[in-house]
Amino acid sequence: MAEVIAIPGQPQNVVLPAKKGPRGEVFIYATWCKGCHICVEFCPPKVLAMDADENRPRIVAPEKCTACHFCDTHCPDLAIVVRKLE
Amino acid sequence: MNDAHIYEAHDLKHDEGQLPPENWFDRSETLQKLRKNKKFPTIWCSGCGIGIVMGALIRAIDHLGLDNDKVALVAGIGCTARMAVYMDFNTLHTTHGRALAFATGLKIARPDMKVIAIMGDGDALAIGGNHFIHTARRNMGITALVVNNTIYGMTGGQYSPTTPLGGRATTAPYGNIEPPFPICDLAIAAGATYVARSTVYHALELDKFLAEAISKDGFSVVEAVSYCHTTFGRLNKLGTATDMMRSLKDNSIAKSALDRLPPEEQAVNTKIVRGKFIDTDRPQYTQVYANLITRVQGGEK
Repeated sequence: MAEVIAIPGQPQNVVLPAKKGPRGEVFIYATWCKGCHICVEFCPPKVLAMDADENRPRIVAPEKCTACHFCDTHCPDLAIVVRKLE
Repeated sequence: MNDAHIYEAHDLKHDEGQLPPENWFDRSETLQKLRKNKKFPTIWCSGCGIGIVMGALIRAIDHLGLDNDKVALVAGIGCTARMAVYMDFNTLHTTHGRALAFATGLKIARPDMKVIAIMGDGDALAIGGNHFIHTARRNMGITALVVNNTIYGMTGGQYSPTTPLGGRATTAPYGNIEPPFPICDLAIAAGATYVARSTVYHALELDKFLAEAISKDGFSVVEAVSYCHTTFGRLNKLGTATDMMRSLKDNSIAKSALDRLPPEEQAVNTKIVRGKFIDTDRPQYTQVYANLITRVQGGEK
């Protein structure tokens, strides 16, 4: 819900969210991560990308997260937590 | 840390650098049930599915709303059995293959506890195969979580009772010639009251099956199909952890989907079948035992 856009032809004070559906926020605790690539390879909207230098995932597109909880349920080291935003 | 006196008494150095910041554990219910004073990360290889099963087990217990002190985890030896060490429940780390034997004793002494035996495939079916069938026959009120990674990972990749036919292992360099054990069929034949199978790719399904199995009164078995990419995957050229994870997704089929296929296609199915295979009720051992005590003591003068 980070971004809001105005709809043409409508009163300017009416703003709608940029994307529909639930949104999420990703937290990564990099000390526990072993760099197995599971979260990066399987994330449906590609929120995460691998940091080549550190071999750790990095959040590159936080606004795309749909709180599907794939990464936090499939992280073998429990190093990811996804919180659903209201 | 409130256990500083333990470290002091044993002259151990507490490695502060390995401990996460205090607020990390508060971020989710799953992390709340981990041992706060344990060194993380876990001992498993990067990308191992056993960590995913651990997360599923914690979520299942959390979903049932069980008290931590009313849950006992009994583990044997092996990669999978290390799982019990990281969780904040009553835990018993026992000898190789005897997790169910120790769990039987624990359940008879404390029938009010939810006892979960965590075993690998070799632990449950080779070394502890005898205990597995007899615990099922008696219908002890135990949940057996069998993580099937088709190999003995911790000892260096020897073939196990579930290694597929033709699969290479360090003790089967020209391919395994022994047919594998079907864990779920064995458990059903031996008399388990709840048997289900899922894979680590389908982690949320695993949560559901584990929650159902733990809430079951009799002996329940959940087979979690995992993978070992560092020994089995390397010897059989199956790729990295993500490749093996993707193959679990592609090479598994839900039982409901399989049942809809024509019989000739069902007969040639080679995919891993996921689903609940049996869910029945039978008198549970500790209940029968308590009834026996009542009957015998009531009969005496």
